[in-house]
Amino acid sequence: MNVNGLSGLNELLNELLSLLSMQHFLQNQVSIPLIQPIIDLLLSMPFVGYLVALILWKPMFALLIFPGLGTLMAVLLFIIWFERKLTARIQWRKGPVEILRQAGGVIQALADGMRYFFQEVIVHRDAHKPYFLQFPILIFIPVLLPLLFIPAGSIVGIESPYSLAIAVALISLIPVFIVAIGWASNSRYAYIGTIREAFMYFAYEIPFILAVISMILLYGTADMVEIVEKQNIPGIFLNPVAAFIFFLTTVMATSRLPFEIPEADQEIAFGPFVEYSGIMFGLVMTITYEKMYILALLMSVLFLGGGNGPDIPLLGNLSGVLWLFVKAMAIMVLLSFLRSIYARLRLDQALRLSWNTLMKISLLSLAIGIVANIAFGLGW
Amino acid sequence: MSDDSVDFLHSGPLAPLKKWGTKWSLWPVHLVTACCGVELAHAYASGYDGERLGSLNYGIARQTNLIIVEGAITRKMARVLKITYEQMPEPKFVIVMGACGLKGGLFWNGYHMVRPSDVVPVDFFIPGCPPTPEALLRAIRSLQEKIVSGEARNTIEFEKYDLSKINVRGEQPLKPPSPKHYSPTPPIKVDVPKEVDWSFGKKLIAELKSDLEGLYKSITITDKNRIAIQAEKDDVVALASKLSKRFDHVKNVNVIDIPHEYSFIVEYQISSYSVKELMPVVVNLFARIPRNNPRFPSLAVFWPSADYLEREMYDLFGVWFEGNSAMGERFLLAPDTPEFPLRKDRKLREEIYSEVE
Repeated sequence: MNVNGLSGLNELLNELLSLLSMQHFLQNQVSIPLIQPIIDLLLSMPFVGYLVALILWKPMFALLIFPGLGTLMAVLLFIIWFERKLTARIQWRKGPVEILRQAGGVIQALADGMRYFFQEVIVHRDAHKPYFLQFPILIFIPVLLPLLFIPAGSIVGIESPYSLAIAVALISLIPVFIVAIGWASNSRYAYIGTIREAFMYFAYEIPFILAVISMILLYGTADMVEIVEKQNIPGIFLNPVAAFIFFLTTVMATSRLPFEIPEADQEIAFGPFVEYSGIMFGLVMTITYEKMYILALLMSVLFLGGGNGPDIPLLGNLSGVLWLFVKAMAIMVLLSFLRSIYARLRLDQALRLSWNTLMKISLLSLAIGIVANIAFGLGW
Repeated sequence: MSDDSVDFLHSGPLAPLKKWGTKWSLWPVHLVTACCGVELAHAYASGYDGERLGSLNYGIARQTNLIIVEGAITRKMARVLKITYEQMPEPKFVIVMGACGLKGGLFWNGYHMVRPSDVVPVDFFIPGCPPTPEALLRAIRSLQEKIVSGEARNTIEFEKYDLSKINVRGEQPLKPPSPKHYSPTPPIKVDVPKEVDWSFGKKLIAELKSDLEGLYKSITITDKNRIAIQAEKDDVVALASKLSKRFDHVKNVNVIDIPHEYSFIVEYQISSYSVKELMPVVVNLFARIPRNNPRFPSLAVFWPSADYLEREMYDLFGVWFEGNSAMGERFLLAPDTPEFPLRKDRKLREEIYSEVE
């Protein structure tokens, strides 16, 4: 046997082990001065210490805590409850409250989730069974991956010079999955809803991408970390037109009212999702809310300065996380508010709006982006 | 009873979670069959706000777990109710609202009525016509308690009376009167004359009398703008061909069943849309036919609007309109409705009273 080859393998193994070692995690650790003593205590424990180091490793923190899974779940539970509550308050009602009177029924979405979880999942005879069951789970790939590219202060899952482009490309995949879901459902309402979704997809996607490109031209880079660093003045003041387009297309993309055309429960009974029941409906129903969360994060990164904000020394690295979270939540609350105050547009009205007006304004935003890049000297 | 659902919620180590989730998330599907739906809307609007209990009205059967049957269920809607129930995923519950859902209520013993408890397993009944929103919310509360405790309870405990003591008249216990109670039947007159100040009517009658000479038995003014023409069955076609020049449509076709005189009265209410003076005038053209051979010439040739009305009368009374091409078919009634349900000699479902221990 070749001795050199064996030593090469050995080196590779050592390198791999060093990557998985606690020291490697600790080099790139989230620092939180407020609870540092507790973290130190936990790190000194034999097995728990390794886990804590792993979770506090910045890429893993981005994946699991913020902006990844943990925050996503919490936001989902909160925003669904909040939307019901807000609608109720606007209609002079109380909204869900009896489940937990002390906190205004804040765990209502959790109870609904539990009920969904234990309900029968019906796969009707006409459905394409494998796709019908696979797509609601596969859709988490384009939903969760963009979260890794979004920087929260110094915490970022994957750094890349093309992170914005990759995130937008992944987000654009979500409607494809929704169309596939509608196709697999194979029912009349699902068919109508799918067609509407496809129409809306083409209508909002072009102004949306043009707005993002105008911001790339403005900042001179597609790296979101750099974009956040360059925003001494928030992007919404540099290019308000692009911000407006981005907001409006977000409303369309997440099928909020007044553009809740593909789902339209009063007309076509939740369109593509009509045949889903039990936990599968729980999964597909949250897609738009997840998309809303990503787009709100993206919007706060592009236009509101991301994790920029007054530094709070006690929170350390979490300071950026806090600011990004606050900004994203403000946008989501605004989007929820739209639901209870607007009526629904017809499909042709929405299409005319986006192909005519939005397309023209988004071309204008491109020009503004180029001019602002030169005027503010943001460089390439 | 839908105890399968409750059994499922009470089984396994995750039972507390299942019970908790289902208890606070009872979503009724939109299936508004009758007027109690107004009370349902009221119960979920800003006054009472049923959403406080975590209950949310939802559009689609697949994503809900509760049906609130609002009132009367007809034979046709029974099918819809069953399909909706079958579409819903387990565990699922049913609340029936209103007197109609209990025993028929206003439509008691109607030929078209179905008891919801014959179609789907019912968890709770709410009596009332209609029940108040409070009563509906109380039923939802009771259902929540049933989900947690596993057994359905009345929300009201009635006082118990000793029936033998309230019987003061004699030894025989009081019995409710038989529902088959015939009242003495007065002769039925369709053309009761009435003196009214209607000069145009008198002129019109004179014209009609000279026009229809020899075809009618009598022409009377029964009220202002109302004229009744009695005729023999054999003369009706000739009468109609003459009347159709003056009057252009049939408003209504009606059959009166008179079992004690062994006859039907067939009425055609005809009027005009084209002549302004005749617009308010309704002429009632009627004839008697024997009950054992109910045949009548169809007048749909002269007035096309009579076609559907004749079919409906065949559905309900079995009067055969000769010349109408759709005779012998079901028109409006559900396939399983008893034959000719509005005939007075149709057998009713007998109510049986018995003491429950």
